[in-house]
Amino acid sequence: MFSIFQNASPYAYDIEAVDDIFQTGKTVDQFLIGDEVHRGGMATLKQAFINNDSSQSILLKIPRVGKDQPVDNLICFETELTILKSIKSPYVPRFIKGGNLAKNPYIAMERIEGISLEKVLQEQKPFSIEKSIVISLNLLRAIQDLHSQEVIHLDLKPDNVLINENNDIYIIDFGLAHHARYPDLLAEEMRKGIGSAPYISPEQIVGVREDSRSDIFSFGVILYEMLTGELPFENPQTLNGLKRRFWAQATPPRALRQEIPPWLQEIILRCLEPYAKDRYQSATHIRQLIKEPSTIKLTERAERIRPLSLWANLKRWFRIAGYEPSPILRSEVIHEQAPIMVVAIDVSSDNQQMFERMQRAASNIIRVFPEGRISCIGVILSTPTFEGEKEIDSASGQFRGYLVRLMDWAKPLNMSLERISFHVFESLDPATKIVEFASDNDAAIILVGASRYIPNRVVPWRSIMTKVVEEAPCSVHVVRL
Amino acid sequence: MIKDMSQKRIAFFADVHSNLEALETCLAHARQEGATKFVFLGDLVGYNANPKEVVEHVMQLVDQGVAIALRGNHDTACFEDYSTKMNPEANLAIDWTISQLHKDHIEFLKNLPLVHQEDDQCYVHASAFQPESWHYVNDGLSAWRSAESSGKIYTFSGHVHEQSLYYQSSVGKLICFNPRPGDSVPTGRHRRWVAIAGSLGQPRDGSPKANYLLFDSEEESMFFHRISYDHLQAADKVLAAGLPESLSRRLLQGK
Repeated sequence: MFSIFQNASPYAYDIEAVDDIFQTGKTVDQFLIGDEVHRGGMATLKQAFINNDSSQSILLKIPRVGKDQPVDNLICFETELTILKSIKSPYVPRFIKGGNLAKNPYIAMERIEGISLEKVLQEQKPFSIEKSIVISLNLLRAIQDLHSQEVIHLDLKPDNVLINENNDIYIIDFGLAHHARYPDLLAEEMRKGIGSAPYISPEQIVGVREDSRSDIFSFGVILYEMLTGELPFENPQTLNGLKRRFWAQATPPRALRQEIPPWLQEIILRCLEPYAKDRYQSATHIRQLIKEPSTIKLTERAERIRPLSLWANLKRWFRIAGYEPSPILRSEVIHEQAPIMVVAIDVSSDNQQMFERMQRAASNIIRVFPEGRISCIGVILSTPTFEGEKEIDSASGQFRGYLVRLMDWAKPLNMSLERISFHVFESLDPATKIVEFASDNDAAIILVGASRYIPNRVVPWRSIMTKVVEEAPCSVHVVRL
Repeated sequence: MIKDMSQKRIAFFADVHSNLEALETCLAHARQEGATKFVFLGDLVGYNANPKEVVEHVMQLVDQGVAIALRGNHDTACFEDYSTKMNPEANLAIDWTISQLHKDHIEFLKNLPLVHQEDDQCYVHASAFQPESWHYVNDGLSAWRSAESSGKIYTFSGHVHEQSLYYQSSVGKLICFNPRPGDSVPTGRHRRWVAIAGSLGQPRDGSPKANYLLFDSEEESMFFHRISYDHLQAADKVLAAGLPESLSRRLLQGK
């Protein structure tokens, strides 16, 4: 290897035998080292305690270093240390402390009660459609949370997803991740396309590390696997085998399992598109579509029932022979360029003037963002019942009436179904519902109508609008007559 | 109070270019952030309207033993003929600057070192590779040359007016990273780093905010700050001094 510095590698220092430092029973910083939990190729996991307090469950991750170990272990370890430290998410183990890289490298983190999705898959695959959907929604929520913090995981696979009995999801192992705010230590690595063969996106294979849509591809592979028990592009061991995903079409999931609904196949196959620009652009979007399958625009992807013929696949091979990845789209750009606008409409009122004013405001805002999407929500103030908040029975005539009103409201906007969705909720506290919906979907802006001013009436609680403005996670545009 | 933080936080000011408003604002900010040592990475003068005040301020800090100053090409132009090496505006500004400075000031600039090395750090105006030739560090290769010549873990410089941070990858190559303002960027000692502080007195990336760099040598992290200051006043002074109007516009537009 061409060496420019006297010590070309930053990892050329001598490190004491790590196994000695972290022996069970020893104390490192404030951590008492417990038993080994797992020994992987890159790192060892050990249980640890602070001050003999066994109630707090801590995991130490210790990289495997030494003369016989590849230097990649340390780069990935340093990457994980930097990125895990910065993430604040309920879907990621909490970072507690990191050791000095040159003396006693370790990461102390919260120990999650859960088993890997890989293990669950081995025992139970394929999953029922319902279970796959529940896990997908939770996984997408977690991915969305990472992307909103400018982190791209780049190694999403069932091994790196922990799941508990409530189907709560935790994403682990950030050794290959990318964070837009830190130097990318894995950039310009000699060996391109580090990742896991079945799950890695085509653009990662050619060395792109900054596109959040790579995680969307990996999600597609995981969903495919949960539903069919198979891998869409198998587990290739050579670079040429890896490159098959540049052009080959995966066997349609419905060919393997007929009961998979066409809309779900549409979602999976769109996530697996070789060009990032052809996939769904954000985890939020997929999540919304899965929740409202009727809004999914079905294409030829949904119709496929058998694998492409050899000849048809060959034609694709010629077409994509010189694969060039799509221009990179960073997650923060998606948030800015393809924002979600939540429009909260008072469906129980008849204020036509306000409806029109809100239509104009919405259409003006969305015009600026050709990739933007609108979620129209109508929240109906329910009369108190003992059940508290409830979703309105979707079959009820009242519910459909409200939905039709939302759709009527949106008609003049002329938006394709891909870009607009409709949701009706009943709640004792509409403002909270609106705010929850906005934060759940990572909305960039909420559009609400100003409260009506009713003379001589003392309202003991804050108006819905005031509460939304105060508690919203994003900008709020108040439309006033 | 400040003594408590000992010598761990160092503020780097590059290309101050006689901008007193920006200097005072950044100094105050850096002190608030716990900086106890200040390094001036060259080009104290040139372009803007307060050469005398800036030089005197820096002389004072150096006298107090809290600052180190390096010499840049604009400082050198005050006592050597650089007229063929700089653009017409810069030359005009230098002629005017010389007319404003006393002999002591010029003497101070003349005696500034080109390179200063301390612990595992090297400070230089342009590149540590042939510092007298003022090479720009603006890509991986030029950063590598500078790091290789300095021989230190950390090389801090200016000359290029935009902030950037070059880091040593696992194969040895230096890779450019564009830090975001105010972020804490981990810069561990097991790698080599070339940091460009960005221009304090004449930002050129489209934002009028002043650039400066704060380094925490114990935490091993760097903060690339962008600071709002009274750039309107600084721009007005440039006009009032009779300097080219374009130099005043640069401060307003940051380019």
